[in-house]
Amino acid sequence: MGYIVSIDTGGTMTDTFVVDEKGRFYIGKAKTTPENETVGFLNSLRDAFKRGNIPFEEGVRAVEIVTYAGTTLINKLLTRKLEGPVGVIITAGFEDILRFGRGVQSYLDYPYKERLHAVSHHYDEPLVPLHLIKGVRERIDFMGSDFIPLYERDVIDAVDYFLRNNVKAICVCFLFSYRNPQHELEAEAIIKDQLSKRKVEIPVYLSSRHNPIRGELPRLNTLLVEVTCARGLNEQVKIMRNTLKELGAKGEIRIITSYGTSISPDSEWLVSALISGPVGGIMGSKFVADLLGLKNVACTDVGGTSFDVGLITEGHYTITTEPRIARLLLTIPAIVMDSIGAGCGTFIRLDPATDKVLLGPDSAGAKIGTCYPEAKLETPTITDCNLLLGYLNPDYFLGGDVKLDVERAKVYVEKEVAKKLSISVEKASFGIYELVNQIMKDYLYAQILGLGFAPENYVLISYGGGGPLHVAGYTEGLNFQDVLIPTWAPAFSAFGCACADFAIRFDESVDLILEPDFSNSDFVFAYLSMAWGRLMERIREEFRRSGFDEEKIIFIPYVRMQYRGMLDDLEVNAYGINSGEEMIKLAERFDVLFERIFARAAKSKEAGYIITKAQMIGNYPTVKPVIPEEKEAPFKVESALKGRRKIYWKDEWWSASVYEMDLLKPGAEIKGPSIIEAPATTFLIPHGYKAYLDKYRIFHLGRE
Amino acid sequence: MKLKEMLLYSEKIFKESGFYYGLKELKLKEEEPLKFERFFARLRGAVVAARETALHISASPIVRNIGELCFALYTPEGDSIVLSTGIIVHVHTMSEAIKWMIRNDYEDDPGINDGDIFSNNDPLIGDVHPTDVHTMIPIFYKGEIIGWAGGVTHEIDIGATTPGHDPIVSTSRFEDGLYLVCEKIGSNHKIHKDHRIRCQRAVRTPLYWDLDEKCRVAGCYIIRDAVLKFIDEEGIDYYKEFVREVIEDGRRIFIQRVKERLIPGRYRAVSFAAIPFKGKHPLKKASKDILMHAPMEVEITKDGKIKLSFDGASKPGYHPFNCSETAMQGGLWVLLSQVIAYDGRVNDGSYLAMEYNFPPGSWCNTKDPTASFGTPWMFLIPAYGALFPCLSRGFFARGYWEEVIAGYGPTGSMIAGGGIHTVLNIYFPVANFELSCVGLGASAIKDGLDWGYAMWNPESDQGDAEIWELLELGLPYLSRKVKPNTAGYGRYRGGSGWECIRIARNVKDFEIYLVSLCHLLGGGIFGGYPLNAGYLLRAHNTNLKEIFENKMDYPIDDEIPAERKMENLIKGEVIRNKEGVLFPTEFKDYDLIHYILFGGPGCGDPIEREPERVREDLDEKIYTKDIAEKVFGVVAKEVNGKFIVDLESTNERRKKIREERRKKSISFEEFKKIELKKLKSLPEHVREMFKESFELSPRYKKEF
Repeated sequence: MGYIVSIDTGGTMTDTFVVDEKGRFYIGKAKTTPENETVGFLNSLRDAFKRGNIPFEEGVRAVEIVTYAGTTLINKLLTRKLEGPVGVIITAGFEDILRFGRGVQSYLDYPYKERLHAVSHHYDEPLVPLHLIKGVRERIDFMGSDFIPLYERDVIDAVDYFLRNNVKAICVCFLFSYRNPQHELEAEAIIKDQLSKRKVEIPVYLSSRHNPIRGELPRLNTLLVEVTCARGLNEQVKIMRNTLKELGAKGEIRIITSYGTSISPDSEWLVSALISGPVGGIMGSKFVADLLGLKNVACTDVGGTSFDVGLITEGHYTITTEPRIARLLLTIPAIVMDSIGAGCGTFIRLDPATDKVLLGPDSAGAKIGTCYPEAKLETPTITDCNLLLGYLNPDYFLGGDVKLDVERAKVYVEKEVAKKLSISVEKASFGIYELVNQIMKDYLYAQILGLGFAPENYVLISYGGGGPLHVAGYTEGLNFQDVLIPTWAPAFSAFGCACADFAIRFDESVDLILEPDFSNSDFVFAYLSMAWGRLMERIREEFRRSGFDEEKIIFIPYVRMQYRGMLDDLEVNAYGINSGEEMIKLAERFDVLFERIFARAAKSKEAGYIITKAQMIGNYPTVKPVIPEEKEAPFKVESALKGRRKIYWKDEWWSASVYEMDLLKPGAEIKGPSIIEAPATTFLIPHGYKAYLDKYRIFHLGRE
Repeated sequence: MKLKEMLLYSEKIFKESGFYYGLKELKLKEEEPLKFERFFARLRGAVVAARETALHISASPIVRNIGELCFALYTPEGDSIVLSTGIIVHVHTMSEAIKWMIRNDYEDDPGINDGDIFSNNDPLIGDVHPTDVHTMIPIFYKGEIIGWAGGVTHEIDIGATTPGHDPIVSTSRFEDGLYLVCEKIGSNHKIHKDHRIRCQRAVRTPLYWDLDEKCRVAGCYIIRDAVLKFIDEEGIDYYKEFVREVIEDGRRIFIQRVKERLIPGRYRAVSFAAIPFKGKHPLKKASKDILMHAPMEVEITKDGKIKLSFDGASKPGYHPFNCSETAMQGGLWVLLSQVIAYDGRVNDGSYLAMEYNFPPGSWCNTKDPTASFGTPWMFLIPAYGALFPCLSRGFFARGYWEEVIAGYGPTGSMIAGGGIHTVLNIYFPVANFELSCVGLGASAIKDGLDWGYAMWNPESDQGDAEIWELLELGLPYLSRKVKPNTAGYGRYRGGSGWECIRIARNVKDFEIYLVSLCHLLGGGIFGGYPLNAGYLLRAHNTNLKEIFENKMDYPIDDEIPAERKMENLIKGEVIRNKEGVLFPTEFKDYDLIHYILFGGPGCGDPIEREPERVREDLDEKIYTKDIAEKVFGVVAKEVNGKFIVDLESTNERRKKIREERRKKSISFEEFKKIELKKLKSLPEHVREMFKESFELSPRYKKEF
């Protein structure tokens, strides 16, 4: 018996998802221990094994693969608990680049009204203080030609200054080094020479080596996040790896990347794991989509603080290469996921001057709402409304670990919302429930529309602790082909991580013009081949470092391209493009993709194409979880009935049947109004709806 | 009822009752406030989605990267209901265009039918300048017109006499480029072929024109579809009632907010803008120095109305800086949406809550149909520089200190031009938008935002140098650096400005023109100082080639102009002056151009600034040591690149400054005498300015 384990370390809790060969899974939870995450992880793992009645020692020994995801890096970055000091060498005249933040970094992550409200804009502290950024005279132009030579003396002076200030690493970033790394390499040689003369051993990082992507601020930001923040992850994960080994586990540990794969902790580019947590849901959805043969899937995650949407279209999720994370412009590949600050913990307030309802943007987090007396909150949250509407069971929140106080919630919803609007508490609560659903719905609809599609083209998957509670609301009126709610919704992200490919991806900016008559396609192909070759070598090197057999790697080349003149590039699979002549095929693939995604826009081939980036993914075959198939048979739902409860829905109180989720068997069909309870989530089936549980233990929600 | 009758009815009933559409009660809102909010969110969602989708279709970097586009939904008579994000300037301009068509009996000829598409960019009808192009479609439901959808984008070129989107040499409408005067450009949901051909041949960038037009049309149709879906679900009667209430609600919210944040009274301030064209403009009639006069008066009434007047404004002239009334309204809206209406309903309700007086025949309500409207921003931006300080006095008095903004930096210097790149042998434009990142004024509790504000779009972006150099091929950067002493002095300082030095490389037939306001703008508030003044600095026939080859020092900043760094480091013709305008001038290889991006004004007396904050400013090179001492009275010395404040000397210095001020002060009577004497010997352009103001406003003359 072998286990696949995935860990998701959040700011407060560490979730563990353990799946066995038969696809049975257990979920464990424990408090996160930031100083040494291994402690929290082991507690969480112990909890999961306990739930599966598996003796801990025996369980650990059978662990085959552990995937690691979490918000550790993001938290470290947001709180600027960075490693350093680090010295930065940059093209002279550009020393202010970090504090400029391109202007954009003053309002990143702001909600709409605060983006307008200019006086609220502000910059976070730069990743490196001004005095540790030293300019060196040199210039390479946009074509890659050297027009001001590197002034060696400037490099020596900078190193001198850095060493007096005890830097732990030196980063070099010159303009257009992604086009021609010559000056960065020259600078590196001088720095290393200086270091060895002074017998100092500190690492030197080049922006062109690790991240040859256009855009000097995002390129430097990314390099600095790697050096000052992500490198440390390596140690945390290595402690886990060693501890697991000591406990007898055979399996290895891998880190989830922002682009939806897993990589070894030995990787030299851990910044790609910056947003590893939330992508799990998308990978899980992809896994389910492949299992059920679905092409287009809308992935929706309702958590405590946010509503996240990701789309799988024609079997692929979209990747951005310029994500904005933790209020920084970066260049790492990341799954496109959009998020708004509307979750179960979102605070509800009324504007004192206008009585307009304001949702969030802040949320109660672990304090849940006014219904949780210990937290002493006085501002109600969405969860308070859900409780007052009868959707939540006050004695079964987190399986009964937390008791909720209905009366206290009522007092504050009445005082802060209902009274001010002169309506009843239930009307106010339901109004808020509908408002938050509407916001989620609009947001979801806009994402789908933005790709030129309609909900009719998609199947929706809902997960996260709050997903099953709100899904009927936020899908109402949008005609999705089907609405799926996996019974393991609250741990779906962790499940998704276990599904990740073991794969590494690297990008390189190339900015090649492909003429409309393809007259230069041989040159373009030759240039691309060289770029792909460099990327393959970097991927091989990464696998070699962890001792994997490089023969087994499956390489898939991609490019990002756009119509010449346009500004949005798309990712195109370049597999099977083996010659200049075949570049036409690549352009055709792009045409098809473009037309599909921007269905309303016209194609614009007249001016040719621009290939902006060469990309390569190296995939290493690995073990994946299996979702077990149970027998699907007519099932008498009464055997899972726990009781009845009054719930409020559209101006009426209804008597709803309450079921225990674990007791329902495939084949069960439940009619609304009903509530299905599980320790970590509650599934609401309103009047007029029904839900069917299939052989994979996935609910299908539909109209009666 | 015909549209014209509806429009007249709506205007009449508002005039008579004081309520939009005579709505004394908001029935739908009062009955179900949360449903009302939800439906508003839904319509807002539709216009925001339209914008997000359309963004991808446009090719222009200005639209795509700087977000210069906007969509809105209107009532049948043209009142705006909801607006997307983006250039909110246009909340009302399209509204005026629709009303203009109605008033001019377009219903009879050329007819307003289902499937028609209209376009306008005439500021005399409704627009800011011709480069902002509108597309509008009527929305029909069962044969009845029930509204309009409109979209606007900022074009990169409009075919004016000089390239680019903000011409400076136009003297009449006939040099402004392409004008579309509320034309029917399509029918049966298709753009007419002749229109497409005509427009593409009228601008320098036909590809951008075509894609931007497609982008506007696509957005309008997304809105139309969303509205028809809304009607199908909620009924036409509900929709009609709902949109009226939304507008009236917007009016009320705005008034509530004014009552909450401001104090009734009369607030006054004055701004000027200089046009130093004498001896420079190639046309004789335009070759004169002009000073624009913008005396602003804001009256806050007891019932929460804002009345804005520019009574006393000077006259229009032979330059492209004249403003139409709708341009002025646009400028006002973009500012109010940042300080008062950012979380309200940005629609025509807010417009109805205000009164305006842009004196007909003045520069701010130019009625002359032959006048040039190419770049009204050059007057509009300085004129509204007084608005924030006026409102801020109200915020401050009400206790909203955090809302105080001392003013803003003008978005410049504006650099433009174009030439041939000799290696690639292609034309390249200089059309930089980094000017969207200037300093914001200080608030009463914190410093102004550094290098990240544009009054016309609060979502600013400097853009990476590596991106701009790919567009502006022959003009690489030598630096982008913080410019010391540009932040307006104050207890809380203004946001800092910055500067660039760029070098011409591989060019021929390359011309640059540049506008850098040389006068002071934005006076600071509560004793705060204005922002910096501009100047021009360039070098021709330099020995930079030799300097680079020999790795000698070259200029990467002009931190302290008095140090004459450029003159000292290079040989050649270095031209430095305080004129604000560089008319198209040829630049050859190794010529240099320097320009500054402005800071923002300060708030409060600089000698009250905490010495510790001044020390930080010194460390961060926001101010130089002499300014710290002279203006802030902070005595500091530099030790190893870090500053240490001498508190004792600082206290003494501040005491001395107070004494000096006391000595210099004179009684008001004396001051008046001096000023009156000055009036007798005013320079010609100042005398001319007052003469124009007096001619247009006897009231102003009398009060003056």
